[in-house]
Amino acid sequence: MLPPDTAPPMPTPAAGSAGLLGGLTGRSVAMAVALAVVVAALLNPLFMPPFPVVLGRTLFLAMVLLLAFHAAGRLPVHRLPGWMPRWLLQLLAIVLAAPLATACIYLLYAGGNVLALFDNPGVVAGFSWIAGTGLVLGLVLALGALFRERDAQARNLALQFALERETLKRQAADARLALLQSQVEPHFLFNTLANVQALVESGSPRAGPVLQTLTEYLRAAMPGLRDAQPTLGDELARVRAYLSLMEMRMPDRLRWQVQADPALAGLRFPPMALLTLVENAVRHGIDPSEEGGEVQVLATARPDGGLQLTVQDSGVGMDGAGSAPTVDGAASSPPAGGTGLANLRARLQAMYGDAARLTLTEPHPHGLRAEIRLPPPDARSGVTPLP
Amino acid sequence: MPTTALIADDEPLLREHLASHLARAWPELQLVGQARNGREAVAMFEELQPQVVFLDVHMPGLNGIEAARSIGRRAHIVFVTAYEQYAVQAFEQGAVDYLVKPFQEARLADTVQRLRERLARPAPEMGPLLDELAAALRERAGTAAPAHAAAAPRWLQWIKASVGPTLRLIPVDEVQYLRSDEKYTLVAWQGGDALIRRSIRELVEELDPDCFVQIHRSVIVNLRHVQQVVRSGNDTADVLLKGRPERLPVSRSYLHVFRQM
Repeated sequence: MLPPDTAPPMPTPAAGSAGLLGGLTGRSVAMAVALAVVVAALLNPLFMPPFPVVLGRTLFLAMVLLLAFHAAGRLPVHRLPGWMPRWLLQLLAIVLAAPLATACIYLLYAGGNVLALFDNPGVVAGFSWIAGTGLVLGLVLALGALFRERDAQARNLALQFALERETLKRQAADARLALLQSQVEPHFLFNTLANVQALVESGSPRAGPVLQTLTEYLRAAMPGLRDAQPTLGDELARVRAYLSLMEMRMPDRLRWQVQADPALAGLRFPPMALLTLVENAVRHGIDPSEEGGEVQVLATARPDGGLQLTVQDSGVGMDGAGSAPTVDGAASSPPAGGTGLANLRARLQAMYGDAARLTLTEPHPHGLRAEIRLPPPDARSGVTPLP
Repeated sequence: MPTTALIADDEPLLREHLASHLARAWPELQLVGQARNGREAVAMFEELQPQVVFLDVHMPGLNGIEAARSIGRRAHIVFVTAYEQYAVQAFEQGAVDYLVKPFQEARLADTVQRLRERLARPAPEMGPLLDELAAALRERAGTAAPAHAAAAPRWLQWIKASVGPTLRLIPVDEVQYLRSDEKYTLVAWQGGDALIRRSIRELVEELDPDCFVQIHRSVIVNLRHVQQVVRSGNDTADVLLKGRPERLPVSRSYLHVFRQM
């Protein structure tokens, strides 16, 4: 019932022993039987009774030890005293079961007469041999089984982690691909070109600078033309280029400001992370609104040396952006741009783990405020200030 | 009496651009107004009753198609769009003209020519064409932006909740569990706790069942945040979460959820 990329919960004690019981029916039983036969054959010369009797005794003991080991393993952990781990209980079970089970065999043999047993030195020797061999072999095998179980658990965990990492990587790759595909949207491109054409034909002096801004934006947003070591400065340049192009297209509806501490410009920064939020703000916040609004971008250093980025718009907000209006406190249906934001979150998670956060809030009276918090450079791998 | 026209586009430069081109290509045409959005376009149309309306397809508030629907057969409509691909077929079948931005002078001359011929006849019936265009537009919204459409999320992605004075959008991936009492549901996520006014019964239908499972009449847990399930006697179990001290009870009737694990 678990999806392949969900980390299954740690094996429970019950589940762990279920695994052991699985072993009990197959390999471990076969192994115990084989060992019992070998031990019986080895001990046979020391014993008076015929081989089948000796074999019977060793087989019985082997089965009792096996059962004791598994039964101890099935006890729920919380019933045990805090100081006693499950493995210790399982070993104790073997230590107790070996002499007791052997005693049972001999009591049966002597018809319940304990004294008769001690009178016969041969019987005492037989008891010691069987109980001793059973104890030693039982302990060795139990330890082996316990180690194997622990190994399996560790492997399981490692696999889970690898799986989780792979999932994150895949999500990040998907997100990047989706970003690349969505970046230079034909609608955006042709509308912007139409505006440039209008400026050119009317002989406006703004035509040249606007064309240059478009070129800058396209260079940054085109797949394959990304700089290898993108910095916050690069990203802010992209953001400014995008916003000034959109301002040319809707001068009466879009106001914007970008404030950034110049000292931060050299910090390495995941490309398109900020631009995604800014595009969302324009596309889903400002553009659907007849009155338009303002987009504010703020980049500041946090007291811990990390990075704080805020993109706030005064547009229509999530409710206006295509989802049904909701009452206060109600969960909204997936808002427009929800998957784009989900992709961004996946990328941040893949790059920084839990140290990065993307939070969304709705400012009053309407609009959307998105904040990205990145950890300090030394705490994030591969993201350090450039010299 | 000169022919009258109205232009509606949310981008001022493009309105001016079309106006100046029309002045050259059709000097007798009298431009009676320029609207900034669909709502304004309809209002201006009602007031000025122009014979020709140039409508940008993409406009805030009321889009061009909705505006055209409201104008109906009372004027000849020319749609203006920057995005040709999705609609060309629909346009070509219909008796309505269209201009693609950035437009070429020759193409505008064609449009002017066609409009002059058509003005003698009543405007065509556009109902079915508009339905088709609206459908194409919806489809485009779903395909042109893969970042948003990539598997249009079937399940709830965000939960809106008041945290202190702010309304916060909590990504459901980060939600660890939900626990309801009579009136509210507590949302426990990686960033804290919040209360929402929705019932567990509603929520369980909207959450991805691969991640979110109900383990109690009033508790839904996100499997991605489960650290361990501890079975206790008497056919119950407790769920331990990653990074949270709480133990969530699994009641007998939901124990099957963890049976196969």
